[in-house]
Amino acid sequence: MVINEALSASLEDYLEAIFHIIAEKQAARAKDISKRLKVGGSSVTGALRSLAEKGLINYAPYDLITLTPKGRAVAEDVVRRHEALRDFFVNVLTIEEKEADEAACRMEHAIPKTILERLIQFAEFVEVCPRGGSKWIAGFQYHCDHGSTQQTCERCISLILEELRKKKTQGGQKPMAVVNLKDLKPGQKAKVVKIKARGDTNRRIVEMGVTPGALIEVERVAPLGDPVDVKVKGYHLSLRKAEAEGIDVEII
Amino acid sequence: MKSKIVVALAGNPNSGKTTIFNNLTGTRQHVGNYPGVTVERKVGYCRHGDVEMQVVDLPGTYSLTAYSEDEVVARNFIIDEKPDVVVDIIDTSNLERNLYLAVQLMELGVPLVLAFNMSDTAKARGYEFDIKKLSRFIGAPIVQTVGHKGEGMEELLDAIVLAAAESKSKINGDQEMSSTGALSSKASIRGPRLQMPLINYGREIEKEISGIQSLVQKEMVLLQKYDPRWLAIKLLENDKDIWPRVNSPAIRPLVEESASRIEKVLGEHPETAIAGARYGFISGACQEAVRSTVEARHTMSDRIDAVVTNRVLGLPIFLGLMYLVFHLTFTLGDPPMGWIEEFFGWLGGVVDSWWPEGSESILDSLIVDGIIGGVGGVIVFLPNILLLFLAIAILEDSGYMARAAFIMDRLMHNIGLHGKSFIPMMIGFGCSVPAIMATRTLENRRDRLTTMLVLPLMSCGARLPIYALIIPAFFPQAWHGRMLWIIYMTGIGLAILSAKLLRSTILKGESVPFVMELPPYRMPTVKGVLIHMWERGWLYLKKAGTIILGVSIILWAMTAFPRLPDDEKARFENERHMVQTIIQGEEEKAGRLAAVDNEEAEEALQYSIAGRIGRTMEPILRPMGFDWKIGTALIGAFAAKEVFVAQMGIVYSVGEADEESETLREKLRDNYTPLAAFCIMLFCLVSAPCMATIAITKRESNSWKWALFQLGGLTALAYVVTVLVFQAGSLLGVGIG
Repeated sequence: MVINEALSASLEDYLEAIFHIIAEKQAARAKDISKRLKVGGSSVTGALRSLAEKGLINYAPYDLITLTPKGRAVAEDVVRRHEALRDFFVNVLTIEEKEADEAACRMEHAIPKTILERLIQFAEFVEVCPRGGSKWIAGFQYHCDHGSTQQTCERCISLILEELRKKKTQGGQKPMAVVNLKDLKPGQKAKVVKIKARGDTNRRIVEMGVTPGALIEVERVAPLGDPVDVKVKGYHLSLRKAEAEGIDVEII
Repeated sequence: MKSKIVVALAGNPNSGKTTIFNNLTGTRQHVGNYPGVTVERKVGYCRHGDVEMQVVDLPGTYSLTAYSEDEVVARNFIIDEKPDVVVDIIDTSNLERNLYLAVQLMELGVPLVLAFNMSDTAKARGYEFDIKKLSRFIGAPIVQTVGHKGEGMEELLDAIVLAAAESKSKINGDQEMSSTGALSSKASIRGPRLQMPLINYGREIEKEISGIQSLVQKEMVLLQKYDPRWLAIKLLENDKDIWPRVNSPAIRPLVEESASRIEKVLGEHPETAIAGARYGFISGACQEAVRSTVEARHTMSDRIDAVVTNRVLGLPIFLGLMYLVFHLTFTLGDPPMGWIEEFFGWLGGVVDSWWPEGSESILDSLIVDGIIGGVGGVIVFLPNILLLFLAIAILEDSGYMARAAFIMDRLMHNIGLHGKSFIPMMIGFGCSVPAIMATRTLENRRDRLTTMLVLPLMSCGARLPIYALIIPAFFPQAWHGRMLWIIYMTGIGLAILSAKLLRSTILKGESVPFVMELPPYRMPTVKGVLIHMWERGWLYLKKAGTIILGVSIILWAMTAFPRLPDDEKARFENERHMVQTIIQGEEEKAGRLAAVDNEEAEEALQYSIAGRIGRTMEPILRPMGFDWKIGTALIGAFAAKEVFVAQMGIVYSVGEADEESETLREKLRDNYTPLAAFCIMLFCLVSAPCMATIAITKRESNSWKWALFQLGGLTALAYVVTVLVFQAGSLLGVGIG
C-alpha cells in the first residue's frame, strides 16, 4: 500500500491505538494514548504531530484527536491485519490469547500483504475442509502438548467420511453469500449475521432488535436516497446507509 | 388504611404512555424539569380507594442503557428514588421490541406491572395472547388496556395497589413470596416469583457475569444500592453511566478482560450478545404465548407510507404539509395577535388617563410603557405558540414527524444536523421563539444546541417591517423582490455555515446514529393534543415570560432615563406655548405642535442611556456605515426586531412611524447610501436576536452560557459580515451614489 510505506511501525501502533480509543470514547486525548501504549507524554506528542503532518489525524495541542477519513482507512487496515494474525494464532495455532495478541502486534507491521492474505485463506480452508475443522485443530493441540499424535487416525477419517455423506444426503445447503445491509434493494429479506459497528451505534442497533439471527426486510429508501426504512421484529426502523453498512446479512 | 405510593410510568416512545398518564391523573398534573437536564418531569396525582398515588411519567425509552439523556433519567429515577411500583406500558401491536424494556426492568428487580396497551389494535391485527403464560414467563402481573378509550384503567389501578402491597410485605421481612393473588377479571395471576435469574445468558457470558459479580460483592458501598448481578451485566455492557459509580480501580481491567474473552469466544461484542440473549428470551416467550391468527402483510400504516414516503411524492407532500403548518400558525395566529396588541394598547390608554394630561410621572411611564408593554410583548406570541404546538402535536401524535425526519435527513445530515432539525428551522421563518421550543423533538443535545443557536438566522417575521421600510426607500421597483430574496438566502447560507462551524468546533462529536423508529400512523386524540398544546403555552408564559418582562423593563428604563433636564423641558414647553399663541390656523397649529413633540422625543431619546450608548458606540459602528441614530434604534430593536422602525421614526423626529412611512423613507434616503441601507438590513438579519429569543434559548438549553453565546456569537458574526460588505462595497463603489 502506497500510503502505508511512509508509516513506521510505531506510528502504525499509534494510529491503531487512536482507532480503538475513538471506538470506545468518540474522540481520543493524548493522555489516553500514552496510557494505552505505556509511553511518555512527549513521545506521544511527537508521534501525533507527524501523524497530523501526514494528514491522518486531526490534532491540535490540548484538543481532542480524531481520525481523518484517510487516517481511518489506514487504521482500519492495520487493525484488520492485527485481527487476522491474532485470529490465526488463536484459532489455528491454538496459541494463548495474550501471547497471540502481542505477537500480532509486532508482526502486523512487517507482514507482506500477499502472505497475510494466504494466512487468512488458510484459516478459512481449515474451517471449511472436511479434513480440518475444530477436531483437527484439537488434534494439533494434542500433538503440541504431547509431542505425539493420537493413534486413532483410521477411526477419525472414517468418521469424517460418514459426516460428509450425511451432509450430502441432507441436500447440502449452499452457504448463503454474506452481503452488506446497505446493498439490499427494497423488498429483499435477509438474516442478520454480524454487526460490525462499535460503541453507541452498535448498542442502539441491537437494542432496537437488530440482533444476529434477526430477520430484516428493506422496505424503502427515502426520497433523497439516504436513510432506509427496514422492517424488523414487525416494526419499521430507519437507518442511515452509513449505519446499514455496519450490518452484515445473508439474503434469504 | 390510607397510604401514599409513588408509581412510575415507563414505556417505549409511541406506546401510548402519555395517554394512560392523562387517563390516570386527568388535569392534576405538574410539568417540570429533572435537575440539570432538559428532560421533562411530569408528575400527576390520582386516588384509588384508600391509596393516594403520585404518578411520575418517565421519559419514553427503548432501553435502560445510558444511550440518551432520557434513558439515564428514567433509570436513575428508578434506582435512586425507588418508586413503589413501576408500570411498563407496552404496545402490544409491537410486542417483542416493547418487551425488551420490560425484561430490563425485571432485571432491575423493581415491583413491576405490565400494561398491555392498544390491545384492540393487536386484536385487529390477529394477535392472541396467553396472558397467564406471558405473565409467568416475565414474572409480573399483566393488565390489558386500551389507552385512548380509557379501558382497563380500573384493573390497572387494582394491579398497582396490589403490587405495591406485595412489595411492601416482602420488604417487611416476609420472606415467603405470596405465590398467587387473584386480581380482577381482566388482570392475570402473578406466578411464583422466580428465584433464579430471569434470563440465562448462556454458559460463556454467565461465567463472566458470576466472575464480575463476585468482585462487585466485595464492595459494600455498591451492594447497598445495586443488585450485584445487575451491576455485573451493566459493566459487561460497558454502560457509560455506571462506570463512574464504580470507584474500585481493580474492577475495570477485569471487566475489560471478561469482555474481550466473550468477544473471542462468541465473535460478538458483549453488548450484542447480551441484547441478543434478551431478545432470544423474548421471542421464545412469544412463541409459546402469542398466536397470530391472521397473516397481515400490509397494514393501513404501510399503505399510507407507500404514498407519504414515496420516492416521487414524498418530498412534495412533506413540503405541502410544512407550508400548511406555517400558514396555519401565522395566518390564524395573526388576528388574535392583533387583538392582544389592541387590548394592551387600550389598557395602556386607560391607565395613562389616570394621570393628568401632560404629566411627567415616572410611575405612569413605568406601568404603561414598561410593564403593560412588557406583558403585552410576552402574551402577543401566545397565539402563535399555541397554534404551532397544536400542529406539532398532531404531526407528532399521528406519527408523521418521524417520516419528516426520514425524508429530510439526507439534507440536514450534510450540514451536520439531524433530520428532525428541519421543522424548527422552517418555523424559524415565522418566529424564533416557537421554533426554539420545537427543537425539543431532537434527542441529542449537540444537535439540539446547534439547531437552537443558528435558528435566529432564519429571517423571522418581525424583521420583515425593517425590510419593508428600507427596500422601497433605496431600491428600484424591479429589485424589491430580489433584494428580499437575497436577504433571506444570506440568512440561510449563514445558518448552514454556522451550523457546520459549530459542529466541527465547540459542538464537535460524531453525529448520532439515525436509528429511529417509524411508528405506525395513529389518529391523534383531541385530549392528548390539547394537553400537549397547553403545556407548551404554559411553560412559555412561566419561564420565558418572566425573563422577557424583566428585560422589557430594563430596555424601557434605558430609553426613558435620564430624563431631559428641566431647562430643556422648559424650552420645549415654551415653544409649545409660542405655537399655541402665535399660530392661528387650527390645522397648522396641530402640525407645528406635533413637530415640537417629535423634536422633544428625539432630544429625550438622544439624552437617554440608549442614546448615549448609541453615541459612544458610533466609532465602532462607523466601519459598517452606521451612525449613532442607527445604534440607538438597534438597542430598542433588542426588545423586538420590528421596534427598530419605530425607533428610527423617533430619532428622525417623524413621530410614530411604521414601515409604510414615506417621510421616514425620505429622511433615510437623505442620510444613507443604498449600500449602508443594505448593511442595516444585513445587520438586523444576523445580529443579536431579540430578547424573547435569548430568553427562550436560556430556558430550553437550561443555561445562560448558551443564551449569551448565541447573543455574542451572532452579534460578532453580524459585525464581521456587515463590515466586510460595507468596506468591500465602498472600495468597489457599489451602491454609494
